[in-house]
Amino acid sequence: MQTISITIIVNGKAISLRCAANQTLLDVLRDELGLTGAKDGCGGEGECGACTVIMNGKAVNSCMVFAGQADGANIETIEGLARGEELHPLQKAFIDAGAIQCGFCTPGAIMSAKALLDQNTSPTEEEIKEALSGNLCRCTGYKKMIEAIKIAARGGSANDR
Amino acid sequence: MIDELNYSLPSNLNDAYSQLQEIHRKPLAGATDIIPRLRRTKLPIDTLVDISRIREINFIREHETEIEIGALTTHSEITDSALLQSTAISLLEASASIGCQQTRNRGTLGGNIANASPAADTLPPLLTFDAVVHLGSLDGTREMPLSKFLLGPGKTGLAVGELIEFISFKKLNRYGLAYVKSGKRNGMSIAVASAAVAIALDDNGRIEDIRLALGSVASTALRCPRAEKILIGKPLTKTHFKKAGEIVYEDISPIDDVRASASYRRSVAAALVMQVLSIAEGRLN
Repeated sequence: MQTISITIIVNGKAISLRCAANQTLLDVLRDELGLTGAKDGCGGEGECGACTVIMNGKAVNSCMVFAGQADGANIETIEGLARGEELHPLQKAFIDAGAIQCGFCTPGAIMSAKALLDQNTSPTEEEIKEALSGNLCRCTGYKKMIEAIKIAARGGSANDR
Repeated sequence: MIDELNYSLPSNLNDAYSQLQEIHRKPLAGATDIIPRLRRTKLPIDTLVDISRIREINFIREHETEIEIGALTTHSEITDSALLQSTAISLLEASASIGCQQTRNRGTLGGNIANASPAADTLPPLLTFDAVVHLGSLDGTREMPLSKFLLGPGKTGLAVGELIEFISFKKLNRYGLAYVKSGKRNGMSIAVASAAVAIALDDNGRIEDIRLALGSVASTALRCPRAEKILIGKPLTKTHFKKAGEIVYEDISPIDDVRASASYRRSVAAALVMQVLSIAEGRLN
């Protein structure tokens, strides 16, 4: 089996590793680096968005990127959002708005939301829905996620509607 | 699990051509189509040649009378392009309708064309632009009309060792353009049927030129010459739009598949034709 050497910058830290040529970025994050926040929800079909990470500023399904294609890329995952004990505003807003139930889709949904807010600090509801359209949720639903993203965009809390 | 395969990263376009000389070596761009296929079936591929970072074929260029779009331009880049917003709105609508943000951030125009899915969203608008596909290889470059390039589901005029470098089309300044698609839901859906149109009027407000193309109703995306012909010289009325829809209903031969039955597709296509004509009419200056 061919192995390749790659260096990826994960949450600000450059990491060099060898991996199999047929591994995806999701495989590398979960199996090689132990970052299990990004999930495999659909078996690598690009359907569910649970594996969403931000690659060079853009939301991508990490199951749809070969490891070699991420060589040299800047990757942000859910693990990189909190600052020590302090949650990222999006993480806090998801909790405050009750946008989490089983939690399986949450890391992906939050990374899609972060990619949106990084580009657009005051998105419309339509823009939020569009940004989340590739993230499937099977329990909480989307209303509370949309509310959470609005709260985070306002930089406020759930009570300050 | 993806079967074992080799990965190589050419440093530039010529290097990519050198690496693609053998039939089991395939180009890899956005990977949004090849990865699911590799997981489902055993494909005759031993090496993926990663062209995704070759800057030489990632561009959107405006010339005096033509637009050129590099094969590695992503659907997000198309959707975000102010130039294409004003010159090729139907292509922008098609790219914006693909998958989700994550898929559009990786998937490329060249990939959408080369995969030649009958349901490929960008193909109907490109067919209404009379787009030309520019191919490159170690032997040089050649071009062919998109309509000749598309041969069947997954089949194109691309030879071993060749890549799509870019597509070009003449600016359609006087035309009203539109693309509509019917899928099971808005996000992530593959078209049950789709339609694109480019329409221009003469001084008397009659249709001088019309190009109508459909997706997901035949083995390739295709133009509808009989419907186009009946509309030439006609005013823009609901009656004529309906007639065009009826001709399309008669002419197409869609298939039954998991997404829709043939008879449903036929009805939807006829309705989409009327809808796309109305939208394009509203966009005529």
